[in-house]
Amino acid sequence: MSIEVRGVTKTFGDFVALDNVSVSLPRGQLTALLGPSGGGKSTLLRIIAGLDTADSGSIEIEGVDATRLPAQKRNVGFVFQHYAVFKHLTVARNVAFGLEIRKRSKREVAERVDELLSLVHLSQFAHRLPAQLSGGQRQRMALARALAVEPSVLLLDEPFGALDAKVRKELRDWLRRLHDEVHVTTVFVTHDQEEAMEVADEIVVINDGRIEQVGTPDQLYDEPANDFVMGFLGEVTTLGTVKIRPHDIAVSPTPGLAGAIRGTVDRMLRVGFEVRLNVHTDQGQDVTVRVTRAQARSLGLVEGSEVWLTPAPVGLHAVLVSSMAGATPVPPTP
Amino acid sequence: MSLGPGGAVLDEPGAQQVTETRPARKRRSGSRTTLGQGSALGLGIALTWFSLLVLIPLTALVVTAAGGGWAAYLETLSNDQTFAAIRLTVTQAAVVTAVNVVVGTIIAWILVRDSFWGKRALDVVIDVPFALPTIVAGLVLLSLYGPQSPIGVNWANSETAVLLALAFVTLPFVVRTVQPVLEELDHDVEEAAASLGASRATILRRIVLPSLAPAIAAGAALSFARAISEYGSLVLLSGNLPFRTEVVSVRVLSFIEGGNTAAAASLASVMLAIALLVIVALDLVQRRVASRG
Repeated sequence: MSIEVRGVTKTFGDFVALDNVSVSLPRGQLTALLGPSGGGKSTLLRIIAGLDTADSGSIEIEGVDATRLPAQKRNVGFVFQHYAVFKHLTVARNVAFGLEIRKRSKREVAERVDELLSLVHLSQFAHRLPAQLSGGQRQRMALARALAVEPSVLLLDEPFGALDAKVRKELRDWLRRLHDEVHVTTVFVTHDQEEAMEVADEIVVINDGRIEQVGTPDQLYDEPANDFVMGFLGEVTTLGTVKIRPHDIAVSPTPGLAGAIRGTVDRMLRVGFEVRLNVHTDQGQDVTVRVTRAQARSLGLVEGSEVWLTPAPVGLHAVLVSSMAGATPVPPTP
Repeated sequence: MSLGPGGAVLDEPGAQQVTETRPARKRRSGSRTTLGQGSALGLGIALTWFSLLVLIPLTALVVTAAGGGWAAYLETLSNDQTFAAIRLTVTQAAVVTAVNVVVGTIIAWILVRDSFWGKRALDVVIDVPFALPTIVAGLVLLSLYGPQSPIGVNWANSETAVLLALAFVTLPFVVRTVQPVLEELDHDVEEAAASLGASRATILRRIVLPSLAPAIAAGAALSFARAISEYGSLVLLSGNLPFRTEVVSVRVLSFIEGGNTAAAASLASVMLAIALLVIVALDLVQRRVASRG
């Protein structure tokens, strides 16, 4: 294990930021700490980095007890949400900072800086000041700066939080590819479940100072340990007594399967390739359903249509969708 | 399309159509300034005000001083008493500025970064030397450090009196210029440096100090300028003894009282030159520190 967190508790006054948290993160993996704001995920990251100290509990990094080590001695790379650039230094000197502190020879520093700047695609900006870079470029510079000292773990605190949606997405893909190249144990904090699921090998869901669940993105999505995880990782609606994802509901124009619930389409909203339906059931429930555009068209759905809803088991759902794609309506089974 | 110096592609929009109807050059020769109407008005007001208050009086000063020619300058400056006054003023101002740079920065630091009992009170009290009429400051200093001192020191009529008075009135400058910059300083940046292995001292020297340098230099310039021109707060305590505690402003006043306007003007213009020199020097130092890291 690369990082071992054991029984860490941290309070700020009356507020309990972390409540007896234990988690171990394996070497070389890209892990996301996911959770709502104020849930304690950033605090955990800062405690691992040594920027905050835990009230109790211990931190072990690469087999060394780091609980009492200052940030300077932990050999972690840290990337901040707002870049934390040294604005009086050029891009190259920002990246060189950690190496200069370690008294490496001038030649070695220059070589390493060149290498890192080309890794983050900033070679042509080496002599600019950070103020002349865009947000995404600054964050890449910050990443190169953190990687320069060859940290045993790389910690990123909401690294893309301050960027606009498009750059965010680009950087996210890029981070994944970078990790596949560099293989340093990486932990990043995010409140965006899509980001976590796209990038991470493993996700640690943190809420209210406690760990709710640890698992791969698929595990978390398909087998959420509790309602909180289910709700946080994707949209949830209630059909009858079952909590279900809106796209896991099968829609049929006729009372097909046993136990189907009848309702009328209240509202239809088309967003890109999908159609969001608001169905008012006979029991008086408002159910959110998501179908593809092709499905909606082949079912002839309009506002006011009468539909029957059934929870689609994952396998059956897949069958339904594939037959819909061929624009063949599913024959009602009597 | 052509490659600009930065490697960026420079586009010349519509260059082709323009050549037929009217020459491109003519289009560009329109207005060369980027000022809008509002900015033009603002610049006008600023320049008029600046001229009235600064440029015209300064020019008048230099003209008056130059009226006597180089001979008058040399005569004024070669006077031993005047030279002693200049030396005393500049030395004491330099010392006081150096002290302010260190102490002022420390005070600003504790006001921003530390929390302690009475912090708000201190924050308010810092401005008192600045707000107090200088002659009142002089009275306060005389009663505290003069012949009837309750604490048993008598610094009246000594160089220490000059230093004390200057330190008193210039105290707020560095504090007040550094404080807001320190407040705006991103704490992340220091944490980033720490996680890269920098010790506390290295962070201060390479990260914090370069960010503060422009503010410290500005405060130092204000403090020096105020110190070389100070009059009210030190006349009472220093005793204005020729060759010992007489400062330039006192000397200028006695020239004027003696009807020697040309000498007063030439001495004043020398001080003006010194002030300019110091401000430029401080700016150069500041630039070096700010970009060093």
